[in-house]
Parts: sequence; C-alpha cells; structure tokens
Amino acid sequence: MRSAAWLFALAPLLAGDVFAQEGGGEPPAGGEGDAAGADAPKDEGEWFAVVGGDVYTGTGAVLRGATVLARGGVIREIGHEVEIPEDAKRLDATGLSVYPGLVALNVRGVANRLGAGDYADSFDPYSQNLVLALAAGITTVSEGSVALKLKRGEVKGVVMRERFLSTLGYSTSAPRSKGELDEKFAAAAAYLRRYRDWEEQKKTNKELKEPPARGVDPSIRAILENRTLARFNATTRTDLLGIARLAQKHKFRPVIEGAVEAWTVADELGRAGAYAVVVPRSRRDKSEELVRPGGSSIENAAILHKSGVQVAIQASSTFIDLGGIAGRDILHLPIEAGFAVRGGLPEQAALEGITIVPARILGVDHRVGSLEVGKDCDLILLDGDLLHYQSLVQYTVVDGKLVYEKDKELYYAHIRPRPSTQPADAPEARRDKGEEEVKASDSEGEDKPEDKPEEKPEEKPEEKPSDGASDEG
Amino acid sequence: MLLRTFLSSLLPVALAASALAAPADLLAIRVGRAETVSHGAIEHAVLLIEDGRIVTIGADLPVERGIPVLERPEWTVMPGLVLPYSRLGLDGRAGAEFTPEVSPAAEVLPRISDYRDALELGITTIGLYPPGNGVPGQAIAIRPKGDTLEEMLIKEGAYLKVYFRADARSKKMVKDAWAKVDEYDDKVKKAKEKWTKDQEKSKSAKKPAEGEKKDEEKPADKPAEKSGDAGKGAAKGFVPPPPDDKVRPFLRVRDGKLLPLVSISQAADWAHWLDAIGERKFDFALRVVMQRELDLYYVLEEVAKRKCTLVMEPEITYQIATMRQRNLPAEFAAAGSRIVLIPRGEDLDSHAAWRVDVGDLVKNGLERKTALDALTLAGASVMGLEKDYGSLEKGKVANLLFLDGDPFEPATKVMAVMLDGEFVHGEVRQ
Repeated sequence: MRSAAWLFALAPLLAGDVFAQEGGGEPPAGGEGDAAGADAPKDEGEWFAVVGGDVYTGTGAVLRGATVLARGGVIREIGHEVEIPEDAKRLDATGLSVYPGLVALNVRGVANRLGAGDYADSFDPYSQNLVLALAAGITTVSEGSVALKLKRGEVKGVVMRERFLSTLGYSTSAPRSKGELDEKFAAAAAYLRRYRDWEEQKKTNKELKEPPARGVDPSIRAILENRTLARFNATTRTDLLGIARLAQKHKFRPVIEGAVEAWTVADELGRAGAYAVVVPRSRRDKSEELVRPGGSSIENAAILHKSGVQVAIQASSTFIDLGGIAGRDILHLPIEAGFAVRGGLPEQAALEGITIVPARILGVDHRVGSLEVGKDCDLILLDGDLLHYQSLVQYTVVDGKLVYEKDKELYYAHIRPRPSTQPADAPEARRDKGEEEVKASDSEGEDKPEDKPEEKPEEKPEEKPSDGASDEG
Repeated sequence: MLLRTFLSSLLPVALAASALAAPADLLAIRVGRAETVSHGAIEHAVLLIEDGRIVTIGADLPVERGIPVLERPEWTVMPGLVLPYSRLGLDGRAGAEFTPEVSPAAEVLPRISDYRDALELGITTIGLYPPGNGVPGQAIAIRPKGDTLEEMLIKEGAYLKVYFRADARSKKMVKDAWAKVDEYDDKVKKAKEKWTKDQEKSKSAKKPAEGEKKDEEKPADKPAEKSGDAGKGAAKGFVPPPPDDKVRPFLRVRDGKLLPLVSISQAADWAHWLDAIGERKFDFALRVVMQRELDLYYVLEEVAKRKCTLVMEPEITYQIATMRQRNLPAEFAAAGSRIVLIPRGEDLDSHAAWRVDVGDLVKNGLERKTALDALTLAGASVMGLEKDYGSLEKGKVANLLFLDGDPFEPATKVMAVMLDGEFVHGEVRQ
C-alpha cells in the first residue's frame, strides 16, 4: 500500500493530480500525501474550479460546458471530465462564457500608486479604479513601462515585468534622427556579429579578448537580442513604411502604436513581423494632396490581420473616463474590439487583440492572455459574448481567486441583476423565477437558475421592480 | 486619624479638590449603578476604597461601622476615562525620521491647565506620544495631576509609535529596523560562541555576577537557542553585547514587551505593512486616522485575524465615492477586533464631547459594552496598564468617574472625579 502511494507520488504530472485529489478526499492518506508534497513543491495552494461554463480559451478553442481547474493560481486542467478535489472552491459557470482576463495596454491611473517609489511598494490594492477595471474584465495592464497584474487586496506579485518595451523615435519629417537610428542598428548588429565570432573563437583560443562594446546603444542591442521589443509611435503611411523596412533590414519585430494608415502598407508590416496597436475607432482624414490611399479605415485591423500583422486593440482613452462621450475609455475595451470586428476582423482575432497579443507585447504571454494549462488562472465570466455590448462581466478571477462578483459590488449590483440572486422570500422574485424558466433558452443566456441564494447585496430589493418591468417588456 | 473618622461620621465634611482625605483612609461609596467595564453593570453598587485602590466592589455590600460612606444613589460610577493617544499639553516639536528611543517626557509641562481640564472631564490616564513621521519614539503614560513629571508619570515605554504609509520609504524603514535586529542577533550569537570557547579553554569558573539581569534581554530565537545547546550549562554567566539604542526598542517589540502602535490611513497601508513585516510574528496595535472617506472596510476580517487593537476616533465615515455611511468602529468590533475610541481633537470641546461622540456610535450600532471598554480598559491595555487601570475591579487603582446618568447621554454631567483614591473634582459631601 505504502509503496503504491510512493509510485503515485513519483508519477508524472497527471498522475500526481489524481493522487493529490484522492489525498484531499481521504484524510488517512495524510502521511504519504506529505511525502508527495515534498517531492513536488509546486503542488501547493488552494484548488479553484470554474465549473460548467463555455470556455473560450483564447487559442481558438471553445469548450462548451467545460471546467477550468487551477491550483495555487495556476491552471492545472481544462476539459470536460475534470476531477475536482473536494476541498476545491467552486464557481458555478453554468450558462456563462469564460474568457481569459483582458490585457489593457498603456493605461493611466488604474493601478494607483500611493507614494513615491515602485509599484511593489505603493500599489493600492483596494483602489476604486482597480475595481472598475476588474469589472470591465481587465486583469493585466501596462502603466508606464510596467506590466501589472490587477490583484485585489494583495500587494505581492503585482509587477509582472518591467521595461520590456523600449521606445524609439522614427519620423520621416526628421530625416537626421531617422538616419542615426539606422546607423545605431547597423553598429549594434556589427557588434553582435563580432561578439558571436569571439564566442566561437574563444572555445579554441582562450586568450582572445571580448570585443569592446563602446558606441553600441544598449537598448538597440537588447532589441536585436530579443530581450526587449522596439516600440514606435507612427501614424502616417510613410513613417509606417520606413519602420517596416528598418525592421526588415535589421531583423527585429517592431511594435507600432497608432498605426492609423497601416492598412495601406499592411503587407510590408506583415513581412516585418510587426505588432500593431490600433484604436479601431480613431479617425484621420486622408491627405487631399496625395493620390495614394490614406487616412483611417474601419478595416484597418482586419487588413493588418489578413497580412500577418499581430493586432492589439487599445481604447481611445487611456484612463477611466466617466465624462464626455461614453464608451471610449479603457472600461470599454471589448466594444473597441467590436468595432474592429465591424470592419471585418474575425472575432477570434479581436479576442486575441485584447488578450494574448498585448500580453506578447508586454512579454507576459507565458503567464496571461489565454487559458492554457500552466498559465495563470486569470479569467472572466460573462453572461454573453465578450464582444456583445450588452454582455456584463459577472465574475473576475485573478490568480485563482475570485476578485470581483458583480452582484456583490456596490456600483454594479443594481444593473440587470441576475434573477436567481433575488431573495427567495420576495414575491416579486418568485414571479421572476417563473418567467425565467420560460425564457431559459433566451439568447442572452444571463440566467443561472441555481446560484447561491444565501448572499445578496443590500440594495437589491429596490432594484427589483425595474428588473421585473424590463423582463415583461 | 480616629478623630477624623469620628468627625466625618458625625458632621458632613466638605471635601474640596484641595482638601482631601488622606489616601490611607478607608472610604465606602454607594452609588445607583456601577459600570465596571470588566464585569458588566452592577446596580446599587458599593465600592470600598483604601490606599488609592479599590478593595471591594459589589451590589449592596454591607459596610462596616466606622467606615465613612458616601451615599449617592442617583449617581453612576465608571472607571476614569483612559486616553492612550494624545499630545495634550505638549509643544509641537516635530520628531526625526527614526528615533525609536525617544520619549516625550521632556516635553511635559506638569502644571499646565489642559491637564486639569481633562481631569475635570474624568480623564484620569493619558498616553502621550512623541510627534513625527517614521518611528518617532515611545509613548509615556501619565496621570493628569502633579507638580513634577515624576508625580505624573505612570509608565515609560507605554508603546512604540510607528507612522506607516504605503510607500517605499516607510517600507524600507520597517525592513531596515528588523534587519538591524537580525544583525544584533548575529552579533550576540558570535559573542556567545566566542565566550563558550573561552570558557572551555580556561576552565576556571569566573562568573560575572551582573550578567544575570541582562540575560533577560538575550534574544530567545532559534540561532541563539542553537548556540545555547552547545554550552547550556555554562551559558549563565554570558553577557551579551549591549544593543544599540535604536535596536533595543525593537528587541523589546519582538519579545512582546513593547507594543508598536502603527498609524495607517487606508486599506492599502495595511496591505503594505503586512508585506513589510513579512513572516515576523509580534503583536501590534493600529492607529487609524479617520477621514471622511475610508476604505478600511476591505480589511475588517484580516485585522481581526491578527488580533489588533485599533485606536480610532468615534466618527461615522463614508464608503469611498458614495454617501453611504459606515460605522467602522462598530464594524471592526463586530469582526472581532478590540477598539479604543479617542476624542476627535486635542481641544477642550473635543474632550468634553468624547463620551457623547462615542454615544453616537452606540446609537448607530456599536455595542454598549464595547463602547465602555473603548473608553477605558482597551486604552489601558494598549499602554500595558490593564492590570491596574481601566475597570472597576478589586485591586485596581481607584480612578473613578461619577456621573448623574448614562455615560452616553448628552445631558449627563460629571459629578465628581476620583484619582488614585482622592476626589480631585466635584463637591463631595458625605
């Protein structure tokens, strides 16, 4: 018996899972369980399961009624016949759509810093904007040059990656700096060739000195060595074309923000392996002096995608902005992506544009941006399609912990409350439930008959009548 | 003395604040109600006071003949108010960044009228803290009466004031302070190893006598124990090197002899404080600076889990960005934390409104029992004075506040105040 347990403990990952699950269910196996824990130190942390949702993994797959199982904040299994340990926290996702948490580029004021210094020292894990962002499904942002995970109530592990992008200036209107940039790349490339030669020769001749790195721009060198990505901000066709050619010449992948006229040179950008960060709703008139195509196009993202450019989608406002024209700030990232779909971008590409592509740009795609085994359990649950403007984020999970629950959040609980969370004793609620059974096949699919009815936000009763009315109408 | 007892039983003697019975005298006080704080309320209570302490307290106790009795059936008695966090009567000297060894004792001006005013409102114990950011120093506990500091002083090192905010500087300060403690521990460990070796070399048993007392301060953590195992029998005479002035307070914190009172002003401060102290286990209390909007409702459970006492003003605050009122003291208490409520300000009006402000919280859901504790015993406990102060119990110092009604009613007046067994305020005729 004992030796059998040892075999289990030493078996590969999947078998290890099974063992751990059994261990959770049977207390007597505790002694051997400890031994297994010592062998595999990663088998720690709480189990968390999102059960029965339509899982959009972000890699193209959709698993209907599947389960995502995580331990210690890392996804362990995604599938239909997942054995869930007894002590796992369960989140019933029946009728809900599960997506990877969204990644928002270049935001401001979401991850608040309270004092001077690093995010690790002064991140506000309780700020209002943080809650608003989580309510919008955003779980990772980049502020300044830092990729941050939006943890709620925790300050450890907030900073995911720093200074992954190095910003370069390139403009055809400043030919001198343009030429200098080209020279810098050439110098850095030449140096790297010398360096690699030296590395080879060193094996035979140990006396040989390392080639001097004088005059080599360290940030350019890092770009050529793929340690960072080069970020440009360019709008016009000529600039975009110049960047594309520079990148092809020196063999690096540029990240181009703005990229309004990119659709006119999409094939060149595609050949350069560029990333484009676009705002699908941004508008720019064509220059009347030019005959060739120009200006903004709603098809921009779609054309770029077709040409092999990786498209990340950014909202037109970089902060949470509750004034002015509604729906343009970072809380409406999926709507912005929806506009790209309107211009012909496939829905899968639009989803990637707000998840995995920005994650790649930030250098954190090994952890976030899609739902895959081994990645962080950052996911959102919606009552409909992510890109549909009526869908609401019902739950947000970061690192395998529930950090946002719409029906319990002061600002959101009253908005289209889910009928099942109505108090059981209220007559109004009972009538709603009756209706809801009839409408169960409704396309909105927001209903979830057997939710935990024991907890509900305080102000729920006030909101009930309006909900009932809208259901009838 | 006999004569005096005889006289006082025959004719009513006016005891003004200046002309008091000698503290050695026995005095029985019969009141309508006593809020003991520690054991609930006692109706028709009798207290026996001797030598400045409460000898007995109970309901309808028989009083021996010859003991003078103060009959005040219309009065309510409660322990004198304990205000553990104050700058009353001190000048506004700003403290330095990191001076954990400093005490505000030098700032105290004994005869200042503020202390008399406080005393007349029933405030019988005050904790004075040193000002400044960072770790400005240690608080002292005083009684608000006396001609010299020695007469006033109850305790030095009542708690260690720590000002903490979610920023790099505060976190570095905390981490550095503990790093210094580790450094000192290493030093002690090495000194001890050396001492053990020397001891083994020269088997002549020459034991310095004065080592015994300092041994207490010797850290009792793992590295020290390990080295202790090597030469346990001989370890008695070891004198650890004296710690630095800035390290000593933190050694006392670690050993549970000094309580840090950590000032925070938002939930994020709490999260970063926990991050800064890491795995270290020591007790601490929290000073919460009340603002109009406060997001501490996010950390109710966590704070309760750590068993922190909170020092806060009796104020209703608002949920962030809303007009939702929150009774945070009541919420913290309900979550399981102990709370100390202090006046909203340092001025006379704030002190006068103190009880009533707390009464407002009681009307808004704070438990009455908790509120009484928050005015007295909890505050004494923060200063490490709960054995002698803060409640009406046998053996405790007779600091009493006599009222003509419920402590939380605005119309209730202070009838008399007793400090260390002497009436210091009020017209008291037996």
